[in-house]
Amino acid sequence: MASTIIFSGGFGSGKSEIALNFTLEKKGEDNRETILADLDLVNPYFASREMKGFLQARGIRVLAPAGELVFGDVPSIPSEIIGLLQQENRIIIDLAGDEVGAVVLGYIRDYLLKRKDLEFFLVINPYRPFAGDVESIKELKNCLEKASGLNFTGIISNPNLVEETTVQVINDGHNKVLQYAEELNLPVRYLTVEERFYEELVVYYPQLLKKIKINLRPQWI
Amino acid sequence: MEKVLMKGNEALAEGAIRAGCRAYFGYPITPSSEIAEYMARKYPKIGGVFLQAESELAAINMVYGAASTGARVMTASSGPGISLKQEGISFIAEAELPCVIVNISRGGPGLGGIQPAQSDYFQATRGGGHGDYHTMVLAPASVQDMMDFAMEGFELADKYRIPVMIMAEGTLGQMMEPIILRDPVTPGYEKPWATTGCKGRKPNVITTLHLPPEELEQRNRYLKSKYDLIKAREKRAETFMTEDAKLVLVAFGLMSRVAKRAVMEVRKRGIKAGLIRPITLWPFPDEHIVEAAENGAKLFLSLEINMGQMVEDIKLALNGRSRVEFYGRIGIIPNPEEIVGVVMQIAEREGL
Repeated sequence: MASTIIFSGGFGSGKSEIALNFTLEKKGEDNRETILADLDLVNPYFASREMKGFLQARGIRVLAPAGELVFGDVPSIPSEIIGLLQQENRIIIDLAGDEVGAVVLGYIRDYLLKRKDLEFFLVINPYRPFAGDVESIKELKNCLEKASGLNFTGIISNPNLVEETTVQVINDGHNKVLQYAEELNLPVRYLTVEERFYEELVVYYPQLLKKIKINLRPQWI
Repeated sequence: MEKVLMKGNEALAEGAIRAGCRAYFGYPITPSSEIAEYMARKYPKIGGVFLQAESELAAINMVYGAASTGARVMTASSGPGISLKQEGISFIAEAELPCVIVNISRGGPGLGGIQPAQSDYFQATRGGGHGDYHTMVLAPASVQDMMDFAMEGFELADKYRIPVMIMAEGTLGQMMEPIILRDPVTPGYEKPWATTGCKGRKPNVITTLHLPPEELEQRNRYLKSKYDLIKAREKRAETFMTEDAKLVLVAFGLMSRVAKRAVMEVRKRGIKAGLIRPITLWPFPDEHIVEAAENGAKLFLSLEINMGQMVEDIKLALNGRSRVEFYGRIGIIPNPEEIVGVVMQIAEREGL
């Protein structure tokens, strides 16, 4: 896996939950210096910085707006990111949704391109608005690439209806994402599902399937 | 039917579109901005008007103008922006112009923060601006409600020629749930009062100025009679396990879902608790409260994400019949365990 992984996509496509899970998994695998950069500058609801304490206790550094700006919605980019991008480490970047979320990459693009391997993932949940047909997805991809100045390297298929997800919901949604992938000429790199579906589905998608633990959604919903 | 996964703000915006709303005027503010963003993306494709005004004052006056033509029209904001709109809302209420105003609320006073709150309850239910008036206020508790109440809001607005406010905590605007997309409706209300160009008829005049004192008083008496009619017909609440409850929790919006979980948990522990969830905050469903008291509720506990506002309406409804207590947080939605703790403490103290 690359040393720089960026998750982008539409609002509510699942970027933060996926970024959190990838970060924990990678750190657990090799204990390499790992940084999760929460660059969601649009608003602080359901952002990965909520898990800062948990991640730090596991040796993961969390970059997020500092001090009371944790609760803010101002465009405050953590200053350390420029220095960290020029060092040997693994950086995982979680963005806010849509082009307003991806635009922050423009600021660090030159540093990102100097790193030797870069994954830029387009996270898609086809059950979300503006993700239900290929035209919308094409528009989203173009907007995100234009805003960030980077080209996507792959798609993460994240078909779900949260608590109402079923195996059929996953299969139908994933098939839709496969069609998008063909049209966009991008590989689907992972299919992410909640832990409870993993055993049943792993035989069908042995290469693609990745299990996700939900961290940011309140249990009482 | 296939469901879609929507944020509350998106569902509300889509609900407005499905209700036939083709005009949106607003100024963005967290945590309401997705409503404006959704309209900005959708309207160019379906022939609607999205306009980002230069301020909230401008936006609400654009709503005034567009609603005068009889069109279904909406604006949305959060606390500080809703305060700025109050002058216009007072004018709209007096001119009896149907429209939907959305408050995706955050904590105040002043700039406050951008975390969820219900602290605009007084502002929403007491009119909010100058003069004797009310807006109807609906409090959704789920993302499906956000869509359904937007649609219902336009119906009520047209039916009573009244501005309808939808008030939801920031979290409800931001969180996602799977929902069913409702079928679009075609607005059917006749609007003979609208300023649609006066070909073949006398001009319609929409004004809020009434200089002669008799005329002003008559106007206020007329509005009062309309509010009384709405109070008689439109009070809405959801009740849960109140039939034999000794302790009744009262909570609206997302908070009511936390309270419901808490009621289910304390019932397991043998506490006869129930829940009343006001759906209309104005008119306040006082009869549901009184009925629970008549069924034997000794104590009411108002749970709010503010420092105690709806608790006053519960006290007014009960008029001394039962005791009323309050528990609240702000910027933070308590989880069910926290509420269970509060309820158990009261139950122990009261020997319930």
